[in-house]
Amino acid sequence: MSKIRTDELILQLASEPAPVRHLRSPMTRTAIWLAISLPWVFAIVFVMGLRPDLRAQMSNAHWLIEQGAALATALMAAMAAFCAGVPGRPRWEHLLPLLPLAVWLGALGQDCLQGWISYGSAGLTLHPDWQCLPGIIMVGMGPAVAMAAMILRGAPLAPMTTTALGALAAGGLAEVGLRLFHQVDASLMVLVWQAGTVVGLTLIAGLFGRRVLRWRHADVRKHAFDAKN
Amino acid sequence: MKAAQAGDGAAYAQLLKLAVPIITRVVSSQHPYGLEIDDIVQDVLLSLHYVRHTYDPGRRFIPWLATIAHHRLIDAQRRRIRITQNEDAVPELLETFSDDQTNWEVAGQGDPELLKRAIADLPIGQRHAVELLKLQELSLKEASAVSGISVAALKVAAHRGMKALRARLTGEAPSTKEKAE
Repeated sequence: MSKIRTDELILQLASEPAPVRHLRSPMTRTAIWLAISLPWVFAIVFVMGLRPDLRAQMSNAHWLIEQGAALATALMAAMAAFCAGVPGRPRWEHLLPLLPLAVWLGALGQDCLQGWISYGSAGLTLHPDWQCLPGIIMVGMGPAVAMAAMILRGAPLAPMTTTALGALAAGGLAEVGLRLFHQVDASLMVLVWQAGTVVGLTLIAGLFGRRVLRWRHADVRKHAFDAKN
Repeated sequence: MKAAQAGDGAAYAQLLKLAVPIITRVVSSQHPYGLEIDDIVQDVLLSLHYVRHTYDPGRRFIPWLATIAHHRLIDAQRRRIRITQNEDAVPELLETFSDDQTNWEVAGQGDPELLKRAIADLPIGQRHAVELLKLQELSLKEASAVSGISVAALKVAAHRGMKALRARLTGEAPSTKEKAE
């Protein structure tokens, strides 16, 4: 049974009609997020120092495709996360990062396959790389904080999806930054330690979605009830 | 909604009033638990209030509202499932203890007229003993003083009277020995 009547609740809500600041369009918000995040990423890259072979990598089409796809994944995931917080938008927008993610993972997978065909099992060496996880976390921290602050302004309609997409965006951008100073390009290593870390963090963030994003108005109903009594 | 976002309270109240039947229709068409509909409608109104900044005046209002209503309805159903998962529907307990005497409240007090007739049918000694000790709830000493019957005789008569009453009311035939008494 309701604690207060619906018409009383309406009066209560209408009595506090402070003007609200519109949520900008997802595309604009993505641009704002990128504008906030990039200085952080560049700062970390600057502190860590650019990899010495960066100029050579810039002419490596495969490296550029991987970086481009990772960046596109980050941007599409950010846009999808912002779309997910706006009621009434189509659900297919949640799937925006899937295509660039597939291109990114596909490029890495193809590189792995090529290494295996060319060199056999020697082309698929995998050894622990304990710099990737802290590196991605360090580079991704700024974008993640900015993303968290921004998705909290949206409606918590799909909390798990939204936080997972937000983490994918931050992780993707961190991966792009990481490969500007971290000189590990063996495809399997990148696939497992870098892309794997991004995907793992995405899944973990998704699991915490309901705790981070929830409707925070239980206290208002109590307030309305107290005001009535 | 645009006026409400700009801070127009009257427009906002009017909008919320117009939204209530729409929300109710959305909720009641998808929610089988009629008792909670008012709660869910209020939840949707509160949710609408707290995300009203997410409405883009360039887009349609109804899909925006229906999406909020739909999600809040799902949340309510999840909440309900969570609660019912931890609840067991237990039928009314018919017994407190296995002894019949402890269950008279559950079983009911029986037919008072039948009891009255059964007492009236008792032999006079037993009837007096039952009336004094069980109905008037006198002590043995008081009952003895009132009736002039010894305490021991009262005890025996009350015991036999109760046994005869039980046999009469439960349909069990009293033993031949009791009948003789």
